Amino acid sequence: MENTEVNAAPGFKEGLKDGIPIALGYLPIAFAFGVAATKARFLLWLTELMGALLYTGSGQFAILNLIQGGETVLFTYALTIFVVNCRYILLSLSFSQRIDPNMSTLQRMLFGFFNTDELFAVAIQQKGKIKASYLFGMTVFPYISWLVGTIVGCLFTNIMPMSVAVAMGIVPFAMYIATIIPPARKSKPIFWVIVMSVILSIVLECTPFIRGILSAGWIIIICAVVASVIGAIMFPIDEEEDDK
Amino acid sequence: MNYQQLLVIIFIVAIVMYLMRMLPLVFCKGKIKNRFLQSFLFYVPYAVLTSMTIPEVFSSTGGVISATLGFLVAVGLAYFGQGLLVVALSSTVVVFVVNQLAAFFKF
Repeated sequence: MENTEVNAAPGFKEGLKDGIPIALGYLPIAFAFGVAATKARFLLWLTELMGALLYTGSGQFAILNLIQGGETVLFTYALTIFVVNCRYILLSLSFSQRIDPNMSTLQRMLFGFFNTDELFAVAIQQKGKIKASYLFGMTVFPYISWLVGTIVGCLFTNIMPMSVAVAMGIVPFAMYIATIIPPARKSKPIFWVIVMSVILSIVLECTPFIRGILSAGWIIIICAVVASVIGAIMFPIDEEEDDK
Repeated sequence: MNYQQLLVIIFIVAIVMYLMRMLPLVFCKGKIKNRFLQSFLFYVPYAVLTSMTIPEVFSSTGGVISATLGFLVAVGLAYFGQGLLVVALSSTVVVFVVNQLAAFFKF
């Protein structure tokens, strides 16, 4: 007899499908990186290797900038990627509470490589525990799109009409919006956490003094921590009943 | 910079990046019992995604008007329960059209 409850949870196929919009959003970003790296006189294989190993848009641009600036201290590179993508620690911690507890260490180590903001944004829309097969399904198209987008950017700097690439700049943000609005409609606490984040983010980003000392990466972390701490104090979630 | 230096940089950065993504997943296998931490982690995604979106979204499309309209379309469609793909494509189309109009009419 098949366990219908387990089968009902989305698996590999649904994951593949849900990865498509993410893959779409990655094309122009990877493309833009391919163009930028080629302009910085990176050879194709090096650009592709960088994309394949780092798999982070904001991080890759930051590192490319440092290389172009001729930075030689390795620690600066490590610190930069840490600061730019520090939010991943928070997101992965939050993720750890949502994924199937039976997912093995090896599976977690493998999935960890492909874990991105956008994947996270899509995956947490699942109700209940998220299955490993769903997560791996989701990683396929975005990663391929990242590799292909980078190569296309390197080879054909002018193949994608700039107007389309520019318009697609909104895709990641549209995805974040599509992730946070529906739960905010149903839950007052989530709504207020979002409102607090909006206010904090605008205040911090638009204060020249603060913007002068803090990078965008730190500002995201500060907003997220402060808004979530206030949310946790004001609206502690109900303790979930133990899974039987 | 020579290739050896570049490769060392890329590998070191890749390792730091990987550890940030992977370690919390591997070392935090169990359910966190503390109610405050549970609540904190429950709110984190919404707070992170919001502060990544605001105000960056308004400078994501090469024009504040197209970005604002794209943003409003995304919020509206998401509010009425549309999925990711619909929201993402619709706001892209709106931004594209507005950008074209802006270029044509020079506003």
